[in-house]
Amino acid sequence: MDVKDQLHAVREGKLSRRAFNTSLMAAGVGLLGTTLQTRRARAQSATSGTYFTYGGYDIPELFVPFKAKHGELPNLVPFANSDEAITRLRAGFVADVLHPCNGNLGRWVEMDLFQPIDTSRLSNWPDVIPELVDLKGNQAPDGKPWMAPFDWSQNSITYRTDLFDLEGKEESWDMLWDPRYSGRIGMMAAGGDSWWIGAIKAGVPFDQIDTDDAFERIAAVMREQRPLVRTYTDDYTSMEQALASGEVVAALSFNSSAVALKGQGVPVAFAKPKEGALTWVCGASILKDAPNLDRAYDIIDSLLSIESGKFMIEVYGYGHSNRRSFDQFDDATLAGLGLTKNPADLLLAGQFQGAASEDFQNRMNEVWEAIKAGF
Amino acid sequence: MTQTSSIDPKVTSRPTRTSGRIARLLYRNEGLRGYLLMSPTLIILTVGVIIPFLILLVISFWTRAGVGFDTTPSLANYARVVNEPMFGILLGRSFWMSGIATVATIAICYPMAYFVAFHVHRNKMFWLILITLPFWISYLLRVFAWRVILGYEGVINSSLVWLGWIKAPLEFLLYSPTAVIITLTHAWAAFAILPLYVSLEKIDKSLLVAATDLGDGPVARFFRITLPLSMPGVIAASFLIFIPTTGDYITPALLGGPDGMMIGNLIQAQFGSINNWPMGATLSIILMLWIAAVALAFLYLTRLAQARIA
Repeated sequence: MDVKDQLHAVREGKLSRRAFNTSLMAAGVGLLGTTLQTRRARAQSATSGTYFTYGGYDIPELFVPFKAKHGELPNLVPFANSDEAITRLRAGFVADVLHPCNGNLGRWVEMDLFQPIDTSRLSNWPDVIPELVDLKGNQAPDGKPWMAPFDWSQNSITYRTDLFDLEGKEESWDMLWDPRYSGRIGMMAAGGDSWWIGAIKAGVPFDQIDTDDAFERIAAVMREQRPLVRTYTDDYTSMEQALASGEVVAALSFNSSAVALKGQGVPVAFAKPKEGALTWVCGASILKDAPNLDRAYDIIDSLLSIESGKFMIEVYGYGHSNRRSFDQFDDATLAGLGLTKNPADLLLAGQFQGAASEDFQNRMNEVWEAIKAGF
Repeated sequence: MTQTSSIDPKVTSRPTRTSGRIARLLYRNEGLRGYLLMSPTLIILTVGVIIPFLILLVISFWTRAGVGFDTTPSLANYARVVNEPMFGILLGRSFWMSGIATVATIAICYPMAYFVAFHVHRNKMFWLILITLPFWISYLLRVFAWRVILGYEGVINSSLVWLGWIKAPLEFLLYSPTAVIITLTHAWAAFAILPLYVSLEKIDKSLLVAATDLGDGPVARFFRITLPLSMPGVIAASFLIFIPTTGDYITPALLGGPDGMMIGNLIQAQFGSINNWPMGATLSIILMLWIAAVALAFLYLTRLAQARIA
C-alpha cells in the first residue's frame, strides 16, 4: 500500500473519501494488531512461569535445575523495590512468584496477594534452615508458610579503613552519625532499609516501630543525620564508586558491596556494629492468582537448590536458605565473606527486621521522603 | 489498495442520500472539514492528554485510605499543599532552578545561533546539525555523562587537582543544585538554539544596514534592531526550556543529592513509595497551574516590553 499514491488518487478524484478513510482505518487496525500480537507473544512466553524479583536476581544462574527440567528459563521480570512492585501489580501485571522480604512481607499478606505454600511440593524443603522459616508474620493457615526463605544477609556499614578513623572505638551505627565526616556519609534511599537503622540508633525496639513515639524519635535521628549525608541512593554501583574514590567514607550497604570492593583491592571493611547488624531474609512467595502453579513451585525449588545457593554465596556473598549450600565452601572462604557454616548463629546475633504493615510503610515513606528533602 | 469501485462513474454521480448529505455538509462547512482533517491529532490529544488530565483532576480530589482510595471528593490534599511548607518550598526551588537554567541556556545559545545566522554563509545546515549533534544521544546517557564530568574524581576535579589549583576535589560540583542547573542547561540547549536561529535568520538584513547608515554602532544596533526582532525566538526558547525542566525528575534524582531535590521527585515519590496517588495528582495539578501562571505572566511582561519598544 503506497500512501503517496493514495493521496494522489484522492486529489485526482479517483479514490473517494470513504475509500480513503477505509484504507486509513485499515492502517489503524493494522497498527493496533501489531500491539495485540506482541501482547499475545508475551502471554505465550508467560506460560513458562514468571518470576517477579529484585534486579540482580533475574539471571539464568539461579535457574539451572529449572532449565534442566523444562528446557527454558522462567520469564524473569525485575523491579527496583517493593513499592515499585506493588504499583505494577496494582496496575495489572501478572506473575507467578514474587520476591518479598521479611520487612515487607506483612504488607503483601495484608493486601491478600499471596497464597500459602504447599512445602511438600518442594524437593529441597527438608534442607531449608528452620530459623529462616519461623519468622514473625510468616504463618499462613494450615501450618504453611507465606514465604519460602531464599536469601538472607545483613545490612551494615561499609567503610574505608584508611579514611575512617575509629579512634580505637568499637564499630557501631554511630559511625553513620559521625560529624567528623560531614558530607561523606552514604545512606540508602529506600526507607525500607534506612528507617530501621534509625530505629537501632534511636534505641527503638523493632516490635514497637509503628508507635507514634517511635516515629518521632526515629525521625529526629534521621533529621540529625541528613546534613552529614552526601547522597541517598539505592544504586549500589554509584555507592561503591563513591566509596572507592573516597567521596564517601562510610555507607549503609549490603555486604555484597563490601565483597565487591574488597575484590577490587579497595581498603574497606564491613562493620560488625555493637548494636547488631540489620538482618534481612528474603524469599519466594506464590501470588494468589498465579496462572502457572506447577511452574511456580519449580521456580521456588530451583531457587532453593544447592546450585543456586553456591552461586549466591560465592558471587553475591549472601547467605542461602539451603544449609547444604554452605557445605560447598571451606571455613576460610566463608569467613572471608562474613558468613559461617552455622548460619543460625549469625542470624540471631543481628537485629531482625520485622514484618511491617502497609499503613506503617506508607506513613514511614511519607516522613522519610520529607526528611530526605530537608523537612 | 485494490478497492476501485469508487472510480465507477455511477457511484460518484449518484451517491446515496445520506452520503450525499454528508458530502454537501462537508462542502459547505469549512470548519467541519478542518476538524475532519485534524481528527487523528484530536483523537490522540483526547486519548493521550485530555482524558488522563481529567483522571488526574478527579483523583486529586480523592484521599488515600489504606491500600485504596476514598473517593468522596475533598479538598484535603489541596489544603495540605497550602498548609505544609515543604510543598511550597520545593515548588519555589523548582521554579528557581529551572529559571536559572533557562536564562543560562539562552545566554549560552544566543551567541551560537547569532553566529550561524549572521556569520555562516555556506553549509548552514551542516553547522546546525553539528550544533545539535550531542542531542542525538539519549537524555539519560547525557545526564550520566555529566556525573562523570562533575564527579568527585571526575574530569573537572581531576584536572584542577592536577593543575594544582585546588587541593581537595570540589564537592559542590556533584549532588547539588548547581549540578542540576549545569546539566539542564546543557541538556536543553538544542531546544533554544533552533528557535533562536530561526528568529535571527528571519531578520531583514537591510534594517541592520539602515541602522549603520544612520549612525548606530554595532552595540546600539544589536540592542535596537537585532535583539527586539529576535524576541519571539527568545520567548519561544524560554517556554520550551522552562516548562519541561520545572517538572524534571531524572536530573535531580541522579545529580541533585539531598539539597537538589525538585517537585518532580516528590510527585514521583507520591506515586511510588509513599503510595499516595491522590496527593501526587494534586501536586501535578498545582505544578501545572503554577507553570501556566508563570508562563502567562512572562508573556504579558514581554508584550508590555515590546509595546514600549515599538
